[in-house]
Amino acid sequence: MASMVGYLGLSLLLFVIGAIGVCIRRNAIVVFMCIEMMLNAVNLSFVTFSKLNGNLDGQIAVFFVMVIAAAEAAVGLAIILAVFRSVASVETSDAAELKW
Amino acid sequence: MFELFVLLIKVFVVMNLALVLASLCTWLERKGSALIQDRVGANRAGAFIESDKWFLKPALPLVRMMGWLGVINTLVCDSLKGLAKEDFTPEGTSKFLHAVAPIIAVLPILLAFAVLPFAPDFTLFGYHIQAQVARIDAGLLFVLAMGSVAVYGVAIAGWTGNNKFSLLGSLRAAAQMISYELPMGLVFVALIVVFGSLDIYTIVERQGELLWGFVPQWGIVMQPVGFVILLLAGMAETKRGPFDLPEAESELAAGYFTEYSGMKFLLFWLGEFAEIGLFAMLLALLFFGGWHIPWVTLPEGVWWAAVLGHVVLMVKVVFFCVLQIVIRWTLPRFRYDHLMNLGWKMLLPLSLINLIGTAVVKVAL
Amino acid sequence: MTFMGFVLALCAVASGIGVIGFRNPLYSAFSLVANLMTMAGLYALLDAHFLAVSQIVVYAGAIMVLVLFVLMLLNLKVEGGPKLGVVRATIALGAGVLILMTAVQPIFRHFEGMSAINLRENAARTVGDVASIGEQLFGRYLVQFELSSLVLLIGIVGAVMLAKRKSATLAPRDGYQGAKEV
Repeated sequence: MASMVGYLGLSLLLFVIGAIGVCIRRNAIVVFMCIEMMLNAVNLSFVTFSKLNGNLDGQIAVFFVMVIAAAEAAVGLAIILAVFRSVASVETSDAAELKW
Repeated sequence: MFELFVLLIKVFVVMNLALVLASLCTWLERKGSALIQDRVGANRAGAFIESDKWFLKPALPLVRMMGWLGVINTLVCDSLKGLAKEDFTPEGTSKFLHAVAPIIAVLPILLAFAVLPFAPDFTLFGYHIQAQVARIDAGLLFVLAMGSVAVYGVAIAGWTGNNKFSLLGSLRAAAQMISYELPMGLVFVALIVVFGSLDIYTIVERQGELLWGFVPQWGIVMQPVGFVILLLAGMAETKRGPFDLPEAESELAAGYFTEYSGMKFLLFWLGEFAEIGLFAMLLALLFFGGWHIPWVTLPEGVWWAAVLGHVVLMVKVVFFCVLQIVIRWTLPRFRYDHLMNLGWKMLLPLSLINLIGTAVVKVAL
Repeated sequence: MTFMGFVLALCAVASGIGVIGFRNPLYSAFSLVANLMTMAGLYALLDAHFLAVSQIVVYAGAIMVLVLFVLMLLNLKVEGGPKLGVVRATIALGAGVLILMTAVQPIFRHFEGMSAINLRENAARTVGDVASIGEQLFGRYLVQFELSSLVLLIGIVGAVMLAKRKSATLAPRDGYQGAKEV
């Protein structure tokens, strides 16, 4: 359906914006947030295709993506906090050496 | 076109309901706290009003009585005072965020009223009208979602205050709110196990049936533990009652409210009292049969049955508002670690056990 | 795309650019919250009701609150350090535009093998209300569901272990300073 093209295009656009953010930003938490945005773009794509295919598999996939993103958020932020304690900064360029 | 018109009317009615409940709770708080604390409370504004105009004279006794009861003081004077105060933004933070934080704190609470039915369905002039702004099949989950979003108002409010007290108070408040969302969500899950639907209208409908032929199938009968948990978790969510450390006036210099004055402060206050109304309505709808009178079956779809049901629901809602206010003015405040202990170590396991027990009973019977 | 969908899409793109554009990471976080809310609205438009509401509960209401907590506790200033080089920015933007132009082409081709009637039928069949999603989750995808709960448990334990402060293991004695905090 022509109406679904808009959703897929939006999903692609958000994914690319997130990818650009991951490359440009140096704050680890902002990079993490851009990754979340990419995950959301993919979720939108899943939901659109679920509607196009006539079954709920896409929506179930989105459910699991949300669950895993939640677990990843907890662990990722804990890692960032732990790195912050030894390096005293969340800039990715400050944690570039293999030394604590 | 007609549906749009009906929808607009419903939205108007629901917003009225929410805001009138909020104002009612504000007045009840003033006068109720006065009675509990053995003092008189506000009774001067408008109590001695006189006028020479002939068209105002008939209304004056009523106005004087309202003034003596403290209604004019609470509703008129406080609002005018709030509107007249200086609108102050602390320097060094974003003006936009400082202004938007009260809105984020209030808006979800008012939105959550959209999925609560306020009367049974009825037919008017041949049209079937649902007394609920949005009947979505995930109604209870939407209420939980709005509770989650309200955390942002608190967090942003504290951060834009740009001082330690605000930030500390807001982080504590946010942590408290998200901690008590968990037992709330689990109580909702137990309610699904019992009633089979997340749509609040269906839950109220199913409460009209009789269990074993003589007991009305109200939520309080099916889920007594759930009622207690939701009462406690709801009071902790609204940061009311004995859980009001985040806004402890005497301890944290008013917590995350510190830098707010005037209308923004009143918006926070309005949101808090609207949330009292929201939880009172949730308790009445989910656990006390909503608009059902026990053992009385009213004819379905008639408009006067809907009005009667609405009145019954409002009586229950006001009862729960009064209950929350009385609890707040009776019990001393929890310390913060006691509060978190209660949420994580007592309410959460209790709600889990409640859920498992409910599921076992449901399968066994 | 309906008018509401178009408005939500605009807000999503605007908040997405806000996420990568703001210098203050806290404003990026707020933009991401706005983005997640608009995505929830888009899911609701695509008839995925349960997902829309659980997106608000999980993503906007829990994950982003966690991010906000971390940001407020770390109390970061605006991104310091050397400014982003022009070369680096151009490469990133150029790669982005290239991906966009390449990947957008399959979208605009017609979906072969799927007639309009088929699509309309399919669209009418997929309503993601709570009951249907529950049937799928507890029916066909039960193993994955249970495994995901296990993953969450591992995530919780891992996060607590990683974020814990190492406390001093020896009591301070005469002259001994105690283990330094790592």
